[in-house]
Amino acid sequence: MQAVLAIVYREYLIRLTSPLWLFFDLVVPLMYLLMFGVGLDRAIGLGIALEGRAVSYNEFFLAGVLSMSCFGSAINQSYGFFVDRDNGIFYEFLTYPMTRGQFLVGKILFQCLMSIVQAALTLSCAVWILEIQLRWEFLLPLIAGVVIGIAAWFFFLAIFAFRIRRNDTFNTVINVAYFVLMFVSSMFYPLDSAPAWLRTLAMGNPLTWHTDVLRYFTIGLGDPQIVLWEIIGFGLFLVASFWVAVKSLQKAV
Amino acid sequence: MSHPAIEVKDLVKFYEKRGQPLVRAVQGVSFSVRKGEIFGLLGPNGAGKTTTLKILTTLLLPTSGSVRVMGFDVATHSLDVRKNICVVVQDNAIELYLSVRNNFRTFGRFHGLTTGEVEQRMGRISELFGLQEHLNAKGVDLSGGLKRRVQVAKMFLIDKPIVFLDEATTGMDTFNKRSTIAAIKEEARKGRTVVLTTHLLDEAEELCDSLAIINHGRVIASGSTDQVKAMGLKMMYVWLDFKKIGKKTVQSIAKWKPVKLETKGTSIELTVRDDKAALAIVAAARKTGLLRNFEIVNATLEDVFVELVDKKQEAA
Repeated sequence: MQAVLAIVYREYLIRLTSPLWLFFDLVVPLMYLLMFGVGLDRAIGLGIALEGRAVSYNEFFLAGVLSMSCFGSAINQSYGFFVDRDNGIFYEFLTYPMTRGQFLVGKILFQCLMSIVQAALTLSCAVWILEIQLRWEFLLPLIAGVVIGIAAWFFFLAIFAFRIRRNDTFNTVINVAYFVLMFVSSMFYPLDSAPAWLRTLAMGNPLTWHTDVLRYFTIGLGDPQIVLWEIIGFGLFLVASFWVAVKSLQKAV
Repeated sequence: MSHPAIEVKDLVKFYEKRGQPLVRAVQGVSFSVRKGEIFGLLGPNGAGKTTTLKILTTLLLPTSGSVRVMGFDVATHSLDVRKNICVVVQDNAIELYLSVRNNFRTFGRFHGLTTGEVEQRMGRISELFGLQEHLNAKGVDLSGGLKRRVQVAKMFLIDKPIVFLDEATTGMDTFNKRSTIAAIKEEARKGRTVVLTTHLLDEAEELCDSLAIINHGRVIASGSTDQVKAMGLKMMYVWLDFKKIGKKTVQSIAKWKPVKLETKGTSIELTVRDDKAALAIVAAARKTGLLRNFEIVNATLEDVFVELVDKKQEAA
């Protein structure tokens, strides 16, 4: 635990040296929600009909913004491995008294704490500015969903960060992956109206599972049975990503 | 009987990359390091010393063989090993965007020190390494030598029983090199075991109680520093100063086949394999009638190192 807290302390000190991180962590999600979301909401007009109820695009997109923020923060944090490598400190870290798993958990824990603030800000804007009706009874599972989401994506991306030595290659791979994962998911649009092939692909995408779960916990949209399977699926994705990331870290030198 | 600080038996490390030939970095290396000893791992570039050090510090897993650090196997008890070591890696390793003070603070926290303990020790360490005026400077603003100093100084902030130093004094000026060497000696005197790799053989000679010379992934000599020097077949260093040096003078000396021969102005420096050759060379030099001065001393570790590495390469 001491080692994990030491990494959190280190991440906190580094974050203090660059306020730009705060912009990415806290402001970008709000911009997506308030600019992109509101713009599309106006364009779509009266909203979309889902599961027999009319849902505004702002309501629909709220979960997308949360899952997008998790993915974006995980990318930033995994990119930190390249910065640590350039500083030479990465290899020194691996000689510190901690397991490889503790190292990974520590690296993402500070970002998880930040994501709680990020989610609180996003939800506040959704409620007070966009007048979205939240399912308050699901607030705690929603926060847990955000924290678990950021950790799962970080472990998943860490696998690539450890296996790819060049940061330009990593950037390219992540940009392509982000593009495919985002648009083949339920982040921006409901899958009910999507072509069958896209729907099939999206159903196997962990980003769809994560977004659907967050959507259920924010506005109550979704079949509880399916959402339960998506929770299980995403949990397995988290565990598998963590396991492979630890194995990859052991071979990262 | 207590176990040695480090015990390496038949260590083998092969690297295999798809489409590339197998790299045999370490091929059956064995040595042991007693507690409180300063041990040097020497060898030319690519000899396998950094790979060996990476295995000792749990960064790499061995292909085969046994490596125990403070009694713990590096492959099966890597966390226990890491709890007993601190490491200066070969590359500069410093938090570039944190101040030197915060570099010390984070490092201390990783190794279980409280903020109070770090602050208390930081004063002594920054004085020892001449870092007092740089405590508030960010890593990114430090020169290469200062970065290295911070990296080495961190190791003396904590009390781990084994310190690994991979080319620790690289990039330091003479003054800081002296204080670092003094600090390493002081830590060893307190009972800490120090394992270092260096290409500066005079540094190794001054610091090390014992050493191993590695070449092509194999130990070609090991033992106490004096024992290894003795393996150099009683090599001698000869310095000759002439009124003037002609071709004939050099040729007459070269026929004794010295290990190393260098002409500097009116003097010749050479290393020969034994004292008989040294005396014969001086006698031959006197016959020229041009010899002004001479000196014969025991060869340095560097001379022995070159001789041993050359011999093995010839054999290979």
